[in-house]
Amino acid sequence: MSPLKERFEGLLGTIVRLSTGQRILVSIAAVIFAIGVGVLVILAAGSVASCGSPALYIMGVEFCYNPLEVWLVMFDGSFGGNFEISRTLRWTTLLLFTALSFAIPYKAGLFNIGAQGQFVLGSLGAAVGVIWVATVVPGGAVGRIVLVPTGLLAGAAVGGLYGFLPGYLKVRFEMNEVVTTLLFNFIATAVAFVLVDRYFVDESIQGTQTEAIPEAAELNPQFFANSADFSLPVFVFALGIVAAAYWLLTRTTVGYELRAMGSQQKAAIFGGVDERFTTLFSMTTAGAVAGIGGALYVLMVLGRWQTGPPPLGFDGIAVSILAGNNPLGLFPSGLLFGALQSGGQAIQFQLGIPSELVGVLRGLIILLVATPELFRMMGKRLNRRGVIDIETEGSN
Amino acid sequence: MSVAVHLDGITKRFPGGVLANDQIDLEIEQGSVHVLLGENGAGKSTLMNILYGLYEPTEGTVRIDGETVDFETPQDAIERGVGMIHQHFTLVDPMTVLENIALGWEPIRYGGLAIDDGAVEADIRELSDRYGFGIADDIHTPVEELSVGVQQRIEVVKTLYRGADIFIFDEPTSVLTPQEADQLFEVFEELTAQGKTIIFITHKLDEALTVADRITVLRDGRKVGTVDGAGTTQDELARQMVGRDVLLNVDKEPVNRGDPQLSVSDLSVTNDQGIQKVSGVDLTVHRGEIFGVAGVDGNGQSELVEAITGLREHTAGDISIDGREIGDLSRRERMALGMSYIPGERQERALVLDFDLVQNAVLGSQRDDQFRDGRQIDWDAVREHTEEIIETYDVRPPNPQALARSLSGGNQQKFVVGREFLREPDLVVAAHPTRGVDVGSMEFIHDQLLEMRDRGVAILLVSASLDEVTSLSDRIGVLHDGAFADVVDPESVSKEQLGLLMAGEQIETERAVGPQ
Amino acid sequence: MGEVLRTAGKWIGGFVGLILALIVARAVAPPGSVSEQILDALLDTGYASAVLRVAVPVAFAAMGGIFAEKTGVINIGIEGFLILSALSSVVAVVRLSDAGVSPQMALWTGFFAGILVSVGAAFVFAVFVIRFESNQVIAGLAIWLISLGLAPFVSLILFESVNSPSVGTFGTWEIPLLSEIPVLGPVLFDASPMVYLMLVSAPLCWYVLRSTQLGRYIRACGDNPRALDTAGVSVSRTRYKGILISGVFCGIGGAGFTLGQLGRFVGAGETSIGGRGFLGIVAYLFGNYNPIASVGGALLFASFDALQFRLQQIAALDVPQQLFQVLPFIVVILVLMFVGRTRIPAALGEHYDEEE
Repeated sequence: MSPLKERFEGLLGTIVRLSTGQRILVSIAAVIFAIGVGVLVILAAGSVASCGSPALYIMGVEFCYNPLEVWLVMFDGSFGGNFEISRTLRWTTLLLFTALSFAIPYKAGLFNIGAQGQFVLGSLGAAVGVIWVATVVPGGAVGRIVLVPTGLLAGAAVGGLYGFLPGYLKVRFEMNEVVTTLLFNFIATAVAFVLVDRYFVDESIQGTQTEAIPEAAELNPQFFANSADFSLPVFVFALGIVAAAYWLLTRTTVGYELRAMGSQQKAAIFGGVDERFTTLFSMTTAGAVAGIGGALYVLMVLGRWQTGPPPLGFDGIAVSILAGNNPLGLFPSGLLFGALQSGGQAIQFQLGIPSELVGVLRGLIILLVATPELFRMMGKRLNRRGVIDIETEGSN
Repeated sequence: MSVAVHLDGITKRFPGGVLANDQIDLEIEQGSVHVLLGENGAGKSTLMNILYGLYEPTEGTVRIDGETVDFETPQDAIERGVGMIHQHFTLVDPMTVLENIALGWEPIRYGGLAIDDGAVEADIRELSDRYGFGIADDIHTPVEELSVGVQQRIEVVKTLYRGADIFIFDEPTSVLTPQEADQLFEVFEELTAQGKTIIFITHKLDEALTVADRITVLRDGRKVGTVDGAGTTQDELARQMVGRDVLLNVDKEPVNRGDPQLSVSDLSVTNDQGIQKVSGVDLTVHRGEIFGVAGVDGNGQSELVEAITGLREHTAGDISIDGREIGDLSRRERMALGMSYIPGERQERALVLDFDLVQNAVLGSQRDDQFRDGRQIDWDAVREHTEEIIETYDVRPPNPQALARSLSGGNQQKFVVGREFLREPDLVVAAHPTRGVDVGSMEFIHDQLLEMRDRGVAILLVSASLDEVTSLSDRIGVLHDGAFADVVDPESVSKEQLGLLMAGEQIETERAVGPQ
Repeated sequence: MGEVLRTAGKWIGGFVGLILALIVARAVAPPGSVSEQILDALLDTGYASAVLRVAVPVAFAAMGGIFAEKTGVINIGIEGFLILSALSSVVAVVRLSDAGVSPQMALWTGFFAGILVSVGAAFVFAVFVIRFESNQVIAGLAIWLISLGLAPFVSLILFESVNSPSVGTFGTWEIPLLSEIPVLGPVLFDASPMVYLMLVSAPLCWYVLRSTQLGRYIRACGDNPRALDTAGVSVSRTRYKGILISGVFCGIGGAGFTLGQLGRFVGAGETSIGGRGFLGIVAYLFGNYNPIASVGGALLFASFDALQFRLQQIAALDVPQQLFQVLPFIVVILVLMFVGRTRIPAALGEHYDEEE
């Protein structure tokens, strides 16, 4: 190989690496930006809220919350100790599933906004499935071996079916999956409520919830504090599923076909890829993965199904988008959102700041990551002023 | 006569360093037809987009009627009487003719609460009558319901309506039949007779000679020269355009026709809008022959090819390969029967632009045993295959990790041709295989096609280039309005006769064209 | 024009036919049966009034969506604009009432405050999708998710609860004489001002899109932005205008729903807006981007939404309330299955580069 050739290839390699690097830069910048906007939101909220002793004075204005303190409490609340870390990892574990549920169809060129509904119905399916099967199997280790897979399979089946439906509506009736999956979330919440209220309600206690699942089916906390509802093997299982998804997308024939369809539909069809298959496969897989997440929420966290599920399906979208929809990026991104979730509980508990703040940050991060052009422009401007020196892509 | 347009030292450098125009000087006389002639990529369109205010020149000045102008937007150009009719019409399909013509120039009433459509209509009727456009009946019809020829006239009326004195036509005939093109040239005469100036961009020599008062030839972004239309010949212009003598005559062996490989009978196909584009076509391609399909773009070529290759369902008729009916088979199943397809829309269809060459090399064979390892793709085998394509078909740069997007058009096409030929097909469907590629790659691809033919492969060649079809094909089917006007022998038919057939007229030829 | 009248005639004819069929069915229904009770509920003018009222947020969301999409910008953020407008209208009313402003005055100022906030949010959205070239679907989704977090957050800070206190509603405006007309009078001429606004807005939108310069720019912008650009009209300015108009209508939808019907903001779950913005999207897909037909779609969905209040009162019908709340969502999916392909603007979702 001639030196010239070598240099040329080296250069191409740099460009490829740079663009992945740039993507990571954009994600980091988006998070920093969102945290900055969060400071403004906290200050604004602190200036209108009423409190006995203001935490901060700036130019004579009283602020009830000190942003620095808020972020410290948030950090402490997510990584400050054994309990906090396991609470963070609990959310991370669940988010990995709902994030995959967005990432896989995205690779096939589809927007699955329906992970929330798939998660909700999957969790109900798991709870009901486990409670039913528990009536015919003994407790203890044997029960565990039967009941845990039953719960996971039931969650996967119900969630998968609920993902399959919008896929089917798309291939059969050309209905846009963004619209259908959005609507399906609302339907799922109501259907789950009615099903439990009518057929599976635990009448011994108040509220709309199922009976508790038998102890044999519960995924007990291990190695970490009991009250955090977190099990390390489950976390490892989640990482395994993410790895499997990575393998599926990059190594297998089906994964290749999904990516071709998502990258350039016409070329994929030219290459003999069946659009109906990739649509149904990716949507069903997505639903099943979200459903497994739902099952784990019941088996590991709640021990039963009850109304008012957390918005893990929507958080999953943010996790996936922040990770560039690449399974390899899901862990750091999921960890961040797990920490936000965990820290959100801490600021609400300790400072009285509504944990809904986390919802705002989630939306901001999604918005900013979807806008790489913003950072490219800023980079250019800084570049022109000579502040920083980064390569920007040449032509447009 | 006075000079309407002066271009002095126009240079245009795009971001990324591409030099599209290099120090071009040009004078265009008022009331004349001035042809800008050049190959694709010679810089003709860039130069005119500068005159029209779409691009700003890197260097140089533009003068209109002797006055220096600096157009920042097309709006500025239009206000100075410069109008441009693009190759791709700038018409809004679902809007009516009236709405399209007035777009941006609506006479408003009641402070913008309404538009004086009556006044627009009167103006359109007046223009239509004065220049004989004959569009008065279509004023309230959505433009998507009108033929391409009529749509083009609407573009002209739109430009007139905006008060243009200088008309730039960018490759206007590429979508027209020869007869529609003649009608357009009559419009040219009408316009110049009324003192309008016309700049006509084309790469077709005969058209240039037909209409031009003066001809300027561009090559590689530079001006080669300006000549009088009356004082030059096709040969001379061709030499100036290409920079060397071009021989489109291909040496080929006599045809050695084998058994029928592809048979199509009574095939009908509709387009996405449900309009019938192919009506009862019969054709047979034998092993060892090239069957050419000629015709003006849009006469059913793409629908025919898509139906055969399995990208579009047909509404009636049979398609068979080697005697086996394949009409109900999926795209993948057809490929498995030894069908290769080189699509015209290379960048849209033949390559996933954001995949590297390795991943593109397996496109279409991803489920073949050769590249499979259980559920996985055997990427090592694919990589070897990629290197084989790159080496055999001289793809540059020879880097399997290069993104398809980063290759030049010619190298992309060589890669596609290589991939499709290395499948060892029995049937090749090649649509516009050399569209937009450089001369070197074109000759290479022609040689490859002939070599496949001589090896006994059946080839269906669709091309908008008459030269290509006539020089490569053993038989030519001329497609007009979704049906073959005739199937002819390229040796015994003239270009003029082909042109008439393309326009749907019957001609008398010796009908010795081999078995049907 | 003739075709428009024919289409309108067909719809009105079908509607009258449906009412007549219901009346006939009512006449032959066995006395005291459940079906008689259902038909009574449906043939009540109170039900018709409820349908109009319930349609308001969906109809305005649909009109807002049309203006954005006709310029070529997908606006999933509609739902978010409705939420922001709903909350801010209530906040303004509460503040103004505390400051001693008269109730009607406070309500109307709150109404405009809601619109203003919605337009402001729409402007931010527009800057992101036009100037910064955000992915339109994801940016719209983000707008919804931000609103979904921000609204209850603000409510908690200000009212110490995700739900606001009640602020009352506009009530109905009775139009003298016309409201005396039997059947039609109480339905059409004794309604909330928001219902009147909706009934006026639909034909107005239709006219603006069809026959004004701005309307033609907007339509051209979504179908062939290049045609508009080469005509010397700025594509991005047109898109800004479309999105801001979208913000106005979404603002009316959110504040109009809150101050015209509900009387408070509910921040729990998916908030009191609860997907009405998304129903608006389906309404304009159903109406094929025609404002009048889209409002028709909103009325159709509303007729199912309004059923829940009616049918709940029939004891023999034991249908769970929660299911009723999502009935419109199920109906729209069924409707979309059979409504066939809508013709979407050709350049929808694509960024347009005006410079070279």
